[in-house]
Amino acid sequence: MMRTGFQRVARLAHHKALPGNPHLLPRLHQASAFGSSTHSLVARFCPEKTDLKDYALPNASWCPDMLSLYQEFLEKTKSGMWVKLPSFKSNREHIQGLKLPSGLVAASDKQDWRIFTRCIQLEGQGYEYVIFFHPSEKKSVCLFQPGPYLEGAPGFAHGGSLAAMMDETFSKTAYLAGEGLFTLSLNIRFKNLIPVGSLAVLDIQVEKIEDQKLYMSCIAQSRDKQTVYAKCSGVFLQLQLEEDPSQ
Amino acid sequence: MLRSCAARLRTLGAPPARRPGLVWRLFSSEKVIHKDYGLPNPSWSKDLRLLFDQFMKKCEDGSWKRLPSYRQNPQIFKDFQTRFVDPRFAKEEQMSKAQQFTRSFEEGLGFEYVMFYNKAEKRMVCLFQSGLHLQGVPGYVHGGAIATIIDVTTGTCAIAEGIAMTANLNIDYKKPIPLCSVVVINCQITKTEGRKLFVSCAVQSVDEKTLHTEATALFIKLDPDKRLT
Repeated sequence: MMRTGFQRVARLAHHKALPGNPHLLPRLHQASAFGSSTHSLVARFCPEKTDLKDYALPNASWCPDMLSLYQEFLEKTKSGMWVKLPSFKSNREHIQGLKLPSGLVAASDKQDWRIFTRCIQLEGQGYEYVIFFHPSEKKSVCLFQPGPYLEGAPGFAHGGSLAAMMDETFSKTAYLAGEGLFTLSLNIRFKNLIPVGSLAVLDIQVEKIEDQKLYMSCIAQSRDKQTVYAKCSGVFLQLQLEEDPSQ
Repeated sequence: MLRSCAARLRTLGAPPARRPGLVWRLFSSEKVIHKDYGLPNPSWSKDLRLLFDQFMKKCEDGSWKRLPSYRQNPQIFKDFQTRFVDPRFAKEEQMSKAQQFTRSFEEGLGFEYVMFYNKAEKRMVCLFQSGLHLQGVPGYVHGGAIATIIDVTTGTCAIAEGIAMTANLNIDYKKPIPLCSVVVINCQITKTEGRKLFVSCAVQSVDEKTLHTEATALFIKLDPDKRLT
């Protein structure tokens, strides 16, 4: 069977040696069953100290529901079982010291890249979100509050904005759970509309990792779980990033 | 009337350091001009302009039509609100700040696109150029941004038949789309079953040699006798 372009490169890259040990010491205290590669990916992804601005922090636009649920999850991070993921302006900042395999690197002299879900920087107007990841169970929770700029039907979040939030949460989960990089497919069933300015809770679970692909499921619902907004399954392609000695 | 003019002014991107008195006087004439974003601007690449010209030519015999695109939601959605939505969800203050997501970016940085519709074929073509603020994997368009423009294009195709909401969206990503490139999104209604509208969609490169993404969507036409919320 003919493989598409970037899947072929992925297959070639997969056979190279794994990158060396990460620079940072692991912060997670307890001995757990999760594989060392998730452990080291998380350690590298969540730097102890950084000058980069973390957008996944409370601000004045967060509704009370989002603030209180955020506090609940922050408490859970103290045991080390859950990790709050930082959210920088661009994925380039997330993968500092790493690069795409050659053949996929896009040379560019441009500077003002921004990750799509942080495109609107006005507080409360676009995507307000924070992702918590559970390394040992390979699952995530995303607290998502859509702002008025994400409107579709008047007063409600655009279906595409929820699709994007699901894709982004899948993306970070897939990366940390098994170096998933590119979306292969998304299958979304919309059930109910999310009112603009309200909290939607996205629960993501990695179902299996097989044949260089990560299979995940997601359910987006209200905090009290009384309203299901959408269900989604997503498949991501595993692709190892390479060390970038120039950085 | 004046209040809604001022509200519209806010969403049209008026300079932040405005003095309310001055604004009031400027727009008290009641005429507010809505900018049509589905027209060439300096950020459009040569590829996008060429395609635009090709499709404008196709419009000459009336078989194709260019769709204007505004930042504010069109009247059809305002009707939606009064008919289908529970009043407690319609918060006045939020309504005034709301705008179409895909038009909430500075020129060239987000979604630059224009849609053309062929009524006889029930086909929608969207010429789309991605900007730097749509990035996912460095150098490529975010999967969620692709999902958004597919949802918007298939949705506009479906709405030509009447107000409809997305029920299902299935997207197969074949090849990543390089950031700042131009792609052609082709959507068509493939089947209608009562209130169900099935739309299929393909995203190709300008030279048609690369199939980037394929999608199918199911839209449900709203029942005029039922409220949504």
